[in-house]
Amino acid sequence: MFRIIPETRIDFIGKRRIAFVFSLLLVAVGLYALVMVFTGKANMGIDFAGGVMLQGHFEKPVSIDELRSALSAQFPEIKVTELSKFEKPNAFIIKTKYPETEAAGEERLQGIMQIITERFAGNAFERDYTEVIGPAVGETLREKATYAILISLVGILIYIGIRFDFRSGVAATIATFHDVFAVLGIFYLLGREFDLLIVTALLTLAGYSLTDTVVVFDRIRENLRKFRSKGEFVGTINRSINEVLSRTFNTSISTLFVVVTLFVFGGEVLHNFSMALILGILVGTYSSIFVASPVVVEWEAKSPKRFK
Amino acid sequence: MRSQRWRLGITLIIIILAFLAYWDTFKLWTMSDEEEQALQERDPGALLELQQNAIRLGLDLQGGIHVVLRVKTEELELAAREGAVERAIQIIRNRIDGLGVAEPVIQKQGDDRIIVDLPGYTDEQRAEELIGQTALLEFKLLENFENASLLLEKIDSVVHEYEMAQADQPVGDTAVVLSDTLAAADTVADTAEDTVSEELDILAELMGDSAADTFDFGYDESLAGEEDVRPVTSRLEMSLYNNRTATNWPGFVVTKRDRPKIEKWLNLPAVKRLIPIDVEFAWSTRADIRNQRDIYELFLLKRKVVFLGKFLEGISLGRDQFGGYTVDFQLSGDGAARFAQLTGANINKPLAIVIDKKVESAAFINSKIRNRGQITMGSSASINDARNLEIVLKAGALPAPVEIIAKNVVGATLGADSIRKGFYSSLVGLALVLLYIAVYYRFSGVIADVGLIFNIFFLLAVMAGLGATLTMPGIAGIILTIGISVDSNILIFERIREELRTGKTVRASIDAGYQRAFVAIFDSHVTTLITAGALFLFGSGPIRGFAVTLFWGVSISLYTAYVITKAIFDIRKGYRTLSI
Repeated sequence: MFRIIPETRIDFIGKRRIAFVFSLLLVAVGLYALVMVFTGKANMGIDFAGGVMLQGHFEKPVSIDELRSALSAQFPEIKVTELSKFEKPNAFIIKTKYPETEAAGEERLQGIMQIITERFAGNAFERDYTEVIGPAVGETLREKATYAILISLVGILIYIGIRFDFRSGVAATIATFHDVFAVLGIFYLLGREFDLLIVTALLTLAGYSLTDTVVVFDRIRENLRKFRSKGEFVGTINRSINEVLSRTFNTSISTLFVVVTLFVFGGEVLHNFSMALILGILVGTYSSIFVASPVVVEWEAKSPKRFK
Repeated sequence: MRSQRWRLGITLIIIILAFLAYWDTFKLWTMSDEEEQALQERDPGALLELQQNAIRLGLDLQGGIHVVLRVKTEELELAAREGAVERAIQIIRNRIDGLGVAEPVIQKQGDDRIIVDLPGYTDEQRAEELIGQTALLEFKLLENFENASLLLEKIDSVVHEYEMAQADQPVGDTAVVLSDTLAAADTVADTAEDTVSEELDILAELMGDSAADTFDFGYDESLAGEEDVRPVTSRLEMSLYNNRTATNWPGFVVTKRDRPKIEKWLNLPAVKRLIPIDVEFAWSTRADIRNQRDIYELFLLKRKVVFLGKFLEGISLGRDQFGGYTVDFQLSGDGAARFAQLTGANINKPLAIVIDKKVESAAFINSKIRNRGQITMGSSASINDARNLEIVLKAGALPAPVEIIAKNVVGATLGADSIRKGFYSSLVGLALVLLYIAVYYRFSGVIADVGLIFNIFFLLAVMAGLGATLTMPGIAGIILTIGISVDSNILIFERIREELRTGKTVRASIDAGYQRAFVAIFDSHVTTLITAGALFLFGSGPIRGFAVTLFWGVSISLYTAYVITKAIFDIRKGYRTLSI
C-alpha cells in the first residue's frame, strides 16, 4: 500500500481557536468585497458593468505603453493588457467600462479602432474578439447571476436540511459560505475582475466545499454511533477527521492537478476562473477540517446535546 | 453471476450507443472543406442533419457573431406593438437565411429583445447592416434644383448669423472652451494638409470635367471670407447639368469631412424653422468617390411617400452600363398600375428611392414605367452591399427600428486557439490524474483510470447525442468532471483499504468499501448537480455550456464508479490479496 498520509492522530479540534480567528478575518474581507460588488465599486467585468472589450493582435511588435498612451488621450479610463508571448505575440486586450447609453459602446469601439488604425498605420491590427455590452444587457446579466446564486444556495440549503440534523446543517452551511466569502475576499484584495465566470466558479466551489464537509460529517456520524458508549465527543470528531484525511488529501490533489493545468494552459479567458477554483479547493479543504467540525464542537460545548 | 452478465450486457449496449452517437461528429470532423462543399451542393439537407447530430461548437470555439437587438416598440403606435417583436424575428430570420449561415439561432429574450447567433460567420459589418437596418423602402419625389438652392441660400444667412453669435459669445464655461480649443488645435495640422490637397483636387476637376457640366458654388476653401458669409453653400457643389431635361441635377455634393458640419447646421432649430413642412433633407446612403474625394450627396425630398416598397416583386441583382450593381424589381397588378400612374405624371422629374431615410438611388423619370424598375447603387457599392439590399428587400421591412444593445464577435483564429488550449489542458490534466491514481492505488488505480476514460468517452457521446453545444467553459466543465469523478474512486478505495487494515477478507472489504462510500459519493454528486442546474437555468451562452458538461459528467461518473469499475472489482473479489 502506497501512502502519502500515514495514519495520523492530529488534534485538529484543539487548534480551532486559531482557525476561528483566521476564518473570521477571511469572511470579514469577503463580506466587505460583497458590499463592494453590490454597490458596483469592485472591479466589475464588462458583462456586469457594460462596456467594450476587444482583443486583437498587431502584425509587428508594439509597445504596450505606446498603445496605452495613444488610446488614453480619448478614453482616460481605458485598460490595456498584453497577452503573454507564450499565448500570442503582439496581442492586446483593450477594455473600457460603464457606457452611459446603449449606443455608447459601439461608438467607443469605433473610436478605439480609428485611433489604432491611424496611429499604427502600416502595422495591421486584426481583431480576434470583440464584446460590446450596453447598460441594459449588463443589468440583465447581473439579475440572472443573482438568481443563479440564490437558486443554487436555496437548493443546497434544502439539501442540507434533508440530509442533516439542525446543528450539523448549520455548521455545513457556515463552512460553505465561509469558503465562498473567503475566495471572494481574496479576489477583491488581488484586484481581480468579477464577471460571470467568477460567479460560476464560486458556485462550483460551493458545491465542492459542501462535498468535503459532507464526507467528514458522514464519518463523524458513523463513528459516534460506533463509539457512543465511550462518550468521548471531541476525541471521536478528531478521530473521524484523521480517518478521512487521506481521502481529503488525495481528492484535493487530483482536483488541483486539473485546475492548475487549466490555469496554465487554459489561456486568458479561463485564468480568473481556474484561479478561483484553485483557491476554492484550498479553502474548501481547510474549512472541512477547521471550520465545519469545530463549529459543531463549540455548539456542543455551549449546550450539550447528543450529536446524531 | 447472472447479474454480472446482465450488467456487462447493458454496458456493451451503452458503449455501442456511444459509438453511434459519435458517428456523425466523426464524419463531419474528418471531412475536408472540399468534401463539405461538395456535400453542400449535392445534398444540403444531409449536411444540415450531420451538423445537427455532431457535437456543436459554441461561438467562442468556432468563431461567430452574437448580437442582442432591442426592437424600439416605443416608436410604434400602441395598436401596432402587439406581435411586432415576433414579426421582426420572422423578418430577421428570412434575411439571415439569405446569408447562408449553417445554424443560426434567432430567439426572443424578455419583452423586446432578440438574440441572434451566427456561428461560424465573422463578417461583422455585413451582419450588422443586414440585421440592424429597418429597410423601410419608400419612393419620394425630389424638389428641383432651383427651389433647393433658394432654400439653401436662406439657410446660409441664418447659419452665418448663428456662427457670428457663437463667436461673440462671452466665455461662459471655461472647461468646455478649453477642451474645444484643444480639439481645434489638434485639427489645425490636418486642415492645413487638406487645403493643399483640395486645391489640387479642384485643379484636377477643372481640367478633367467639362465646365458646362460643373455648376460650382465657388467651392474654394482658401476664400475664407466666402466661407464665412455662405457657410453652407460654399461647401456644396453641383455637378451635373442634364441636357435632355435642361435642368440641373437636384443633388448637392458634400465632402465626407464637411458632412458633420452641414448636418449640425441643418439640425439647428432656427434652420429647421426655415424648411417648409412638406420637404426634408436626406443624405445618400454611402460615400462615393469623386475626384479622389469621399463625397456624399445631399437631397431635398418631398415628404410625401409616392410609392411603397411592399409592391416590389421578383427582386434580383443586376449590373448597370457603368458596371455598378443594381437591384432589379418587377411590379404587377395594383403596384404596376400605381407605378405607371406615378411615373407617367412625373416624366422628366427626379425620383428618389429612399431606404431608412437615406437616398439609395435617385434618377430622372424618363418615361412611363409599368412593370419593372431598377435601383442603381452607384459605383461605390460593393457586391455585399448589393446582396444585402437584395436580401432585405426580399425579406421585407422590420415593423419597427431595432438597435444593437450588445454584441460579441469571435474571430475564427481565436476559436481555433481556444480549442487547442482546451484540448491540451484536458489532456495534461487527465494524464496527471491518471498517473497519480495509478501510482497511489496500483492496479486498483489502473481500474479507476479505465473508469475515468469511460467517463469522458460517455460524456462526449451524450453531448453529441443531445446535440449539445461545447464551449470553452464547457471544456473547463469536462476537466472539472475528471477531478470530481476521481473523488468517487478515492472514497471507495480509501474505504476498502481501511477495511483491509482491520483484517477483513478481500471480498468483505470490497463489499464494505462500495457500500459505505456510497452515501458520501451520492451526496457529493447531488450538491454538484444542484449547482449545475441553477447555472443552466440562469446562465447565458458559454456558462450554460459549463453547466451542461458538469451535469452530464457528474451523472455519468456515478454510473462508471458503481457499474463499470465495480464489475471489475467484483471479479477481483475472489483474489486472496488486492493491489490497492
